[in-house]
Amino acid sequence: MEKIDKIIFGDNQFFGINHMSQEKAQQLSEKFFQTENIYKVYDLAFKSGINAVMLNSNDRAKEICEYFRSNKTKYGHLAWYPSIPYPHKYANMVNEKGIFPAINDVLFSNNSALGVLGMVAKGGMAVLGKDAIELMKMLIDIEVKMYKGLDVKVIFIQNIIVDLLLGYNVKDVFYEYCNYIRKKYNAIPGLITQNMPYLKSKLEEWGIEEVVICSSINKIGYLMSPDIQSYLDAIKNNNPDKYQLMAMSTLASGAIRATEAYEFINSLNIQSVVFGASSEKNINETVKLIKLGEIN
Amino acid sequence: MNKIKLGIIGMGRMGITHFSIINSHPEVEIVAVADTTKMTLDLLKKYVSGIQVFKDYKELIETSHPDAIIVCTPPNLHYEVCKFAYERGIHVFAEKPFTADVHQAEELMNLFESKGLVNQVGYVNRFNDIFITVKNYVASGLIGDVIRFKSEMFSCTVSKKEESESWRSFRKNGGGAVYEIAAHAIDLVDFIIGPPDNIVGTSMNQIYSKHVEDIVSSTFLYKNGCSGTLYVNWSDTSYRKPSNKLELLGSKGKILADQHGIKIYLNEDSESTKYKKGWNTVYITDIFTPVPFYVRGNEFTRQLYHFADTILGKEKGNLCTFKDGYHAQNIMHHLFIDAQKNAIIE
Ligand SMILES: NC(=O)c1ccc[n+]([C@@H]2O[C@H](COP(=O)([O-])OP(=O)(O)OC[C@H]3O[C@@H](n4cnc5c(N)ncnc54)[C@H](O)[C@@H]3O)[C@@H](O)[C@H]2O)c1
Repeated sequence: MEKIDKIIFGDNQFFGINHMSQEKAQQLSEKFFQTENIYKVYDLAFKSGINAVMLNSNDRAKEICEYFRSNKTKYGHLAWYPSIPYPHKYANMVNEKGIFPAINDVLFSNNSALGVLGMVAKGGMAVLGKDAIELMKMLIDIEVKMYKGLDVKVIFIQNIIVDLLLGYNVKDVFYEYCNYIRKKYNAIPGLITQNMPYLKSKLEEWGIEEVVICSSINKIGYLMSPDIQSYLDAIKNNNPDKYQLMAMSTLASGAIRATEAYEFINSLNIQSVVFGASSEKNINETVKLIKLGEIN
Repeated sequence: MNKIKLGIIGMGRMGITHFSIINSHPEVEIVAVADTTKMTLDLLKKYVSGIQVFKDYKELIETSHPDAIIVCTPPNLHYEVCKFAYERGIHVFAEKPFTADVHQAEELMNLFESKGLVNQVGYVNRFNDIFITVKNYVASGLIGDVIRFKSEMFSCTVSKKEESESWRSFRKNGGGAVYEIAAHAIDLVDFIIGPPDNIVGTSMNQIYSKHVEDIVSSTFLYKNGCSGTLYVNWSDTSYRKPSNKLELLGSKGKILADQHGIKIYLNEDSESTKYKKGWNTVYITDIFTPVPFYVRGNEFTRQLYHFADTILGKEKGNLCTFKDGYHAQNIMHHLFIDAQKNAIIE
C-alpha cells in the first residue's frame, strides 16, 4: 500500500466545530465565513511543510476544491484526503422526508449529480432498494464529484456511517466500498471510526487489507471505545503494510497540552496524524512536535 | 440466562441506530425486526444474516418470541405495541415521547410495574455524562436549594415549509416541537429538579409547520417556591445538531451546562468537591466514561446497555423507567392545556 502523509491538515476549525466550546466554535465560524480567511490558514499550513489536506464534503468544500483546482501551479503538489459524506446534510433531509425519500432526492432530483437521465439508466429507487451496494456506489460518486481533478490519495467514510454499519456486522458493504474506491478512484480506502480495535479486528476477520483507519487517539482515552488499553494493544500489534493508522483528536479537544499529547503519539506505532489549527504559532508548533516513526 | 432474544419494531432513523448499538452487546441476539416499509425489510433481509423480518409487529412477537423489544415506531403506536408485548410478558424499551396520550402512558406504567417487566423510555440525556454529573451535584447540595432554572433546547429539525406530511406534522401522532424536542428538555427538568406543581404562561409559535408548534416556552412552578422556564425551538438553523442548555440558580451558587461542559459558580469554597469560590469549569473530557461500542454518543450506547443489563439482572433498571416517561408525558399534557387556555382572549 502506498505510504500516506505523516501530517495532514484537517478542517474542523473552519466549520464551527469545536468539541470544547460552542463560543469558540462560533467565533471561528464567523472568522472563516470569508473563504479568503480559510485560504490564508491553508497557506500557513503549507508554509510549515504540510502537503496534505483532509476535507469533509460539506456545503463549502465545493468552493474550496474549486479554488485549489484553479490554482494548480501553486497547489498541484498537494495530496487530498476527502471524507464523505457531510452527515448533517443527510440528517436534515431525512428529518424532513424520511430515509428513502431523502436518498431518492439526493440521487434523482433534477439538480442532483446524476439527474433524470441517471435515474432512468439505473432504474430508479425501486431497483436500488434491493441493491444497497449499487446505492452506496451512487452516493459515493455524488459526494466525491467535487474533488475531481485534485490528487486524491485516500477517500474516507465518516465515523457516523462506518460505526453504524460496523454494528450491523455486514462484510459485503465494507468489502465493496474498499474495492470501489481502489478501482474507480485509484485511491486508498479510508475508514474513520470511534471503535478502532473492533473495526480492525473485523477487517482482519473479513480479509480486508490495505486500508487507512483514522480514529481518535489521545492520552486520556477520549472518544476511544472500548478503552485506551485496547487501542494501545491494537496499535502495537499492527502491521502498517496492512493497515495504516491515522490519529485524530490527539489533543482531546484541548484537554491535553500539545507537547504532552505528541510525546504520547510519537511513542506509538502510528503512521499519520490529522490536526487542525488556525494560528501560525499553533500550526508551526504542532508540525515541529509530530515526529512519527523517529522514536520507535 | 441465555442471550437475550431481542426484536426491534420500527426501523426508521432511531431503529436503525439502536440495531447497530445493541447488536454489539455480547449477550444480546437480535432475532427479528418489524417495519411497514417494504424497502427497509428487503434491504435488511438481503444484507443482515440471522434475522427475521416482519411487516406486522404482532406477527414478529408471535413468531420470533423475543424476550425483549425496542419500540421505535411513531409515538402514537407505542401504546398498542407496548400493550401487546405486556400481555406476552416481554420487556420493553420504548422511544420517547413514551406515548402520544397521557392516560395511555399512565396505564402502561401501571401494567409493566404490576408484572415486574423491565421497562425503559428513551430519554437519553439521563445517560449523558454531563447531565448525570449535574444531577449528582445538585442532589449533593453543591449549589444549595435550586431557586430558579432555565431549560432550553434548540435544533434544526424543521427548517423549511414541509412539502409532504409525515407523523411529525401532527400532534396526535406524536409530532410537533413539544413531543419531538422539548420532551428532552422537560425530562431534564424532571430528572434534575422533579416534576413541577403548576405550569403557567405557556405559549407556542409556528414558523414553518402548518399543524404543530415549532417553538414552545413555558414557566414551571413548584410548591417550595422554586420556578423555572422552558424554551425550545426545533427550527433554529444556527444549530447543526440538537443541543440542550441548562441553567440552575441555587442558594449557594449556579450551574450552566450544555453537552460541551459545565460551568459552576460558587459563593464559597466547596468542602465535598474540589471546586473553589467563583467560577469553575468542567469539560466533557474531565468526566466522560467510555462505552464498549460507540455509534452516536456515549449516552445512546449506555441507555441500551442499561436495558439489556437490567434484563440480565446486572443492573437495577431504575435509570429511566416508564414512570419517568409518564412524568414527562404528564407535563407535556399540561403544557398543551395551558397553551390552549392562554391563546384565548375574551
Ligand atoms: N432519543 C432521541 O434522541 C430520538 C431521536 C429521534 C427520534 N426519536 C423517537 O424515536 C421514535 C421513532 O422516530 P424516528 O425518527 O426513528 O422516526 P421514523 O419515521 O424515521 O421511523 C419510524 C419507523 O416506524 C415504522 N413504522 C410505522 N408504523 C409501523 C408499524 N405499525 N409497525 C412497525 N413499524 C412501523 C416506519 O416505517 C418507520 O420506519 C419516535 O418516538 C421519536 O420521537 C428519539
